[in-house]
Amino acid sequence: MKNTLKATATAALLSVVAATSSFADGHAWAPEGPIKMMIAFAAGGGADTHARLIAEDIEASLGWEMIPEQVTGKGGVNALVALKDMPTDGSAIALVVTESLGYNAAAAKGAGIAPSDFTGLTTTAGFQMGVVAKADKGWTSFDDMIAAAKEGELRFGTMSPKLSDLAFLLGEAQGVEFNIVQVRGGRAVMDGVQAGDMDLGFMAGIQGKGVASGDLVNLASALSVPLKQTPDAPTFADLGVQFSADGYFVFVAPAGMDPAARDAITAAIAEATNSGKAAGMINKAFGGAVNIQGAELDALLQSDFDAAGQLMEAVQ
Amino acid sequence: MGVWDHVIAGVLAVFQSDPILGVPITVLMVLTGFLLGITVGATPGLAGPMAMAISLPILISIFGYSNDALLPVLGFLIGIMKGATIGGAVPAILFNTPGTPDAYMTTLDGYPMAQKGEARHALRVAHFSSASGDTFSDIVLVLCAPFLAILVESYLDLPEKTALLILSLAFIASVIGNSVGKGLISMGLGLLAAMVATGEDFYPRLTLGQPALAQGIPVAAAILGVLILGEVFKALEDIHRDGQSSSTTQVGQRESKNGPFRLRKLLPYIGRSAVIGTCIGALPGVGSTLAATLGYTSAKRRYSKSKEPNAPGFGQGAPEGIAATEAANSSVSGANLIPVLSLGIPGNAAAVFLILAMDSIGGFNPGPSVFQLGGGISDDALNPEMVMAFGIFTTMFVANGLNWTIGGVFMRSVGVMARIPKERLLPIVLLLTLTAIYVQETSMVAVWITLFFGFVGYFMRRIDMSPLPFVIAFILGGNLEATARQAFAATGADPFFLFNNPIALAFIILAIGVVIFSMRKPAE
Repeated sequence: MKNTLKATATAALLSVVAATSSFADGHAWAPEGPIKMMIAFAAGGGADTHARLIAEDIEASLGWEMIPEQVTGKGGVNALVALKDMPTDGSAIALVVTESLGYNAAAAKGAGIAPSDFTGLTTTAGFQMGVVAKADKGWTSFDDMIAAAKEGELRFGTMSPKLSDLAFLLGEAQGVEFNIVQVRGGRAVMDGVQAGDMDLGFMAGIQGKGVASGDLVNLASALSVPLKQTPDAPTFADLGVQFSADGYFVFVAPAGMDPAARDAITAAIAEATNSGKAAGMINKAFGGAVNIQGAELDALLQSDFDAAGQLMEAVQ
Repeated sequence: MGVWDHVIAGVLAVFQSDPILGVPITVLMVLTGFLLGITVGATPGLAGPMAMAISLPILISIFGYSNDALLPVLGFLIGIMKGATIGGAVPAILFNTPGTPDAYMTTLDGYPMAQKGEARHALRVAHFSSASGDTFSDIVLVLCAPFLAILVESYLDLPEKTALLILSLAFIASVIGNSVGKGLISMGLGLLAAMVATGEDFYPRLTLGQPALAQGIPVAAAILGVLILGEVFKALEDIHRDGQSSSTTQVGQRESKNGPFRLRKLLPYIGRSAVIGTCIGALPGVGSTLAATLGYTSAKRRYSKSKEPNAPGFGQGAPEGIAATEAANSSVSGANLIPVLSLGIPGNAAAVFLILAMDSIGGFNPGPSVFQLGGGISDDALNPEMVMAFGIFTTMFVANGLNWTIGGVFMRSVGVMARIPKERLLPIVLLLTLTAIYVQETSMVAVWITLFFGFVGYFMRRIDMSPLPFVIAFILGGNLEATARQAFAATGADPFFLFNNPIALAFIILAIGVVIFSMRKPAE
């Protein structure tokens, strides 16, 4: 009896503390413990580096404890499956790409995930997705490459099933057939193109330095808009492909997240992408921060998910 | 940026790492690892790979996954690897018990010398030969690995790379252990384990619907289970069966009578053995024990022709015997990094843990791309992986320097380790391994998986099947599948991509040849 009383008293006390602290959160939400930041990409790549820098910046400016952790595989689906059932109090977030919640979630039917299972926080940066080849191939334009492809089959490096579909559609629209080689990560495409294992490939920003120094060439923009670095290169729409590789790195949390936590974490990430070490890296690698948040982000994720079916049908 | 910029940056990365107590952290880690390695090597029942396995998860939890973690962690592991080889000679000489398997040949002449009261002399010979062999091997590594990597990258296309991986696996399965059949089964099981939940599909394959397996079998759990727990279970059973641990701790007579240290006589033996050990080390799968045996037998042949009439013969306390063995087994450790750094293929258990460290920490993918100038981006950028490679070389030379300077002194003080009874030691290893796994994976599932693979490793040892092909195949499985898929796609879905070009075909024929050749050998 005594114990029960004690327990009740403790519980009552705790709930009062909790209530007061959540009242205080109305002004400035802060996590009660460390925030687990799942990163859906291999350690050491651009995606991983920028996520870790964001974590460092947040720790430095707000004093929150961030714990980055790799949950890789299946184009972000593994991380999303792991995140789905995590607490909704802001103690768990994940960095994926919009494609993870779009094409990949739609394709991974067994995983049972959809945008409605998650709360979008903010995007951090967009892909500068180009079709890139080595300069010493001698191609100065997209047409040069297509002319070469008509002479003999070319190897086209991609890093996800969606991009493989896009490469296939690009070949179809241009009347050539590529040998599409899918590898893990943009870095692997770049290594393959550099080493001559592939003739051209998709690169999502990692090509920036090489293009600037003249070692690599952006032949086309795989986006719906021209590339910032090579505005003259044709877009996929110009080349007869009605889909694009438009996409962003995006932080998400489980569905039903506490709105105060959502706002606070979103603001913290957005702040980090626009100042400090993370901002510098994002500017260099991805051409600047892009912060799509709130309802706009929700709509973007849902429309990507819905559009995935059309793309999959188009390549059938 | 030229090669020299990378070399300098690599050396600086080691010596300008954050200082602790005024010593750069990487150098300090090499030193700690080296001393631990000698201690572990001198303890019968413990081996270098065991210490590497247990330290790795703990080091990762201390240093994290950042790029700065790579050199200190690898430095520590390399220190252990190098220390264990020379440590193994200590109990071999003093107590007739090899501390590591590759020091068995050292007992043949080392212990008789100790009995004659020349223990100190024997240890000096062992240390000098070991350090010379090691240094020689590292120099070969630094000279060869980059060129081999560049050769591979410029001449081998995706189908040839696939064939090369198949050849390596065939070679490893054939030469490790006593039976080719068992080697192949062990390798097949490793590939099977590597297939779980990997691949390009969004649906995790072969998981039997278990969510715990959806991310694949944790690499550390499988490897530590098979290599470490399997060994512990087997050793515990041996102790149980023999009643008491076989107390081979006979105390050698340790009068410090100093025999003449005749460098000129020893050098030819050290030189030959260093070359033998280096060549063996560069081949994946053939370990330091074989190198020691070959070094010893070739030296024995030479010695019987040229020995002075009243000098002791091999097996009766000839310093040349120790020199030949120790130079050979130590010169494996540098050369076995040649296939690791240039091809991403681990050749022995120590290399397995180095690759595991690189994989877990990230930012360094061993393989041909490591030695690309221009960082794959542009000619005026440093390639961070190449800098890291030269950083690794630097840590190896730091370890060598330590070996020459303090190795000999420290070595003489660890003889006491051989008296620790195995039945105390093994439970500690068991506990440390499981703790290390939990620290890295923070889930009980990983601990269960480790125990499961521990029993797999135990049964493999029971039926005399080497677990090493399993582990190497498990590590290379993903790589093999990815390369094969890419080769298939790149050749326009040609099902015969392995046979359509001469180099790939040659590799495949060699792979089949090495299996057939090894199967025939015992019958002769």
